[in-house]
Amino acid sequence: MGRILELEHVGFYYGAFRAIDDVSLHMEAGVYGLLGPNGAGKTTLLKIILGFLNPLSGTGQVLGFDISKDRKLMRRHIGYMPESECLIPGMDAVTLTTYLGELSGMPHQEAVKRAHEVLYYVGLEEARYRQVETYSSGMQQRLKLAGALVHDPRLLLLDEPTSGMDPGGRKEMLGLIRNIAESKAMNIIISSHLLPDIEATCEKVIILNKGRVVHQQSVSSAGTQRYNRYELRIKGDADRFIDRLQAMECRVETNDRGLLVVMLSLKHSVMDLFRLAVEEGMQIRHFRQSRTTLTDTFVKAVGADDGN
Amino acid sequence: MGIREKGYYRWEGELNAKGFTWFPIFLRGIKHAFRKKYAKALFGFAGMPFLVFLVALYVSTKPELKMLSRLVRLLQNDAEFFNVFYSNGLLTFIFLVLCIFIGAELISGDYKSNAFPLYFSRPLNPRDYIMGKFSVLLFYLLLFSLVPGVLLVIFKLLFTGAFSFDIGLFGALIVYPLFVALFFTSFTLLVSSLTANRKFVAAAIFLVYVFSNAIAEILRAIFKDPVFELASIEKNIQQTGAWLFGVDPPISIPAVYSALILCLSTGLMVGVIFRKIKRAEAQIENGG
Repeated sequence: MGRILELEHVGFYYGAFRAIDDVSLHMEAGVYGLLGPNGAGKTTLLKIILGFLNPLSGTGQVLGFDISKDRKLMRRHIGYMPESECLIPGMDAVTLTTYLGELSGMPHQEAVKRAHEVLYYVGLEEARYRQVETYSSGMQQRLKLAGALVHDPRLLLLDEPTSGMDPGGRKEMLGLIRNIAESKAMNIIISSHLLPDIEATCEKVIILNKGRVVHQQSVSSAGTQRYNRYELRIKGDADRFIDRLQAMECRVETNDRGLLVVMLSLKHSVMDLFRLAVEEGMQIRHFRQSRTTLTDTFVKAVGADDGN
Repeated sequence: MGIREKGYYRWEGELNAKGFTWFPIFLRGIKHAFRKKYAKALFGFAGMPFLVFLVALYVSTKPELKMLSRLVRLLQNDAEFFNVFYSNGLLTFIFLVLCIFIGAELISGDYKSNAFPLYFSRPLNPRDYIMGKFSVLLFYLLLFSLVPGVLLVIFKLLFTGAFSFDIGLFGALIVYPLFVALFFTSFTLLVSSLTANRKFVAAAIFLVYVFSNAIAEILRAIFKDPVFELASIEKNIQQTGAWLFGVDPPISIPAVYSALILCLSTGLMVGVIFRKIKRAEAQIENGG
């Protein structure tokens, strides 16, 4: 599969405010996370990708369609799950999802059939004949996802997909997104300010700040999926302790505060760390779970940019 | 309510590449209006002018009913008959009620429920969206004006047995309801696109119509000049009817002015609606 997105020097301003400033992005097929603090330009970028906004400078293509000229064609292949509450009241979930399928160009009968399928898939099968205004926010999120999936798009844009969900619902939503990403030929761009959501679902992350791309990397290269991070201060033979940890396939680094940062492989538990310390006659005088690598990367990227 | 361990099926069908992308909006709007509380009662009421004129038409074809000779004379003049049918106060009132009942929430409802992202993330542009909304109200307005008008022609031919009808007049009875329905639809959608409050929209539609008549009357009384009647929506509609059907206009100024006023205001209102919806599309999810 080719590139899903190509942006070249795209810019967009609200008056004097540069919402998107000379952004160039190339995305291959896969699952991307769009990270950034509030006002970073994530939503504006999504709007440009969807063709809601015409870039004031630069050019771009989404799924091979020009973002300025082929908006309608482009949107036939995009599924969009908005962040905000935006359901049409007075309809049940089947009617609404069918309606959205029809608006995407599906024949009525196909849209009805498909609506039932996607509502079942997102876990709303029992509530599908309820009026949408009676839905909880978690159910509304699921319904929005069903609406985005109904026409089987090639690119799925999810804006804060877990917004307003309780921990259980959030876990299920992330599981669903992972399932779509892993076993379907669908590309996904997730815009979120929740780093754990991005870590749990994305292969690659793009960090935006002040309308510019300040960092791009694959999530797995940051090691966030494979390790738990702990900060330790130890007393004893540190070298031997580090050797033993590395033999356990753990990465060990020293941070700027002189603490040992251990990236403990997921196949080991934290008790293995303490057992090793006992075996080596070490004292652990400070111990705490560290922030994830992605958090560090995010803070570093945004912080460095703000410093500039 | 857990996510089912059911596979995601790919949909192998083909999306409709061409055609009327606004059509689902039209269909949904028609069904939604019809399912509203009191819809059937209102539609029954809206069919009343047709029934009254149908009876009158039948009466006019019966020479034995001599006591109704004045009415018969009026009804036998096709131009007068259709002008009265279309421009009478009851039909205009019905138009106004239909605009409030069906049209008030067409766009304001989408503002209220913030439904624009659902529309504009689909292969729709503001023009398609407006056409979809436009077609809903236009359908109902024409259902209770153009359709009865054409049916009256058919019944007249049947009652008289003379299968001839002035083509120019037939054109007028097609164009006139279309013209008035377009004006009312643009007016309603314009007000509906200004706010998310449906009640405000309903009140504004009614008040603008009533006040335009009142202001026209006041200005005419003060300045003693019939030209001020052009401020009245109702008078402009009647003047345009008179112009199209070739009968004497109710006010003594060229009737074509009214047609121009309605035409220009329709164009202007459509322009404003387009701008509003285009802005609504761009402002979707404004934020980060």
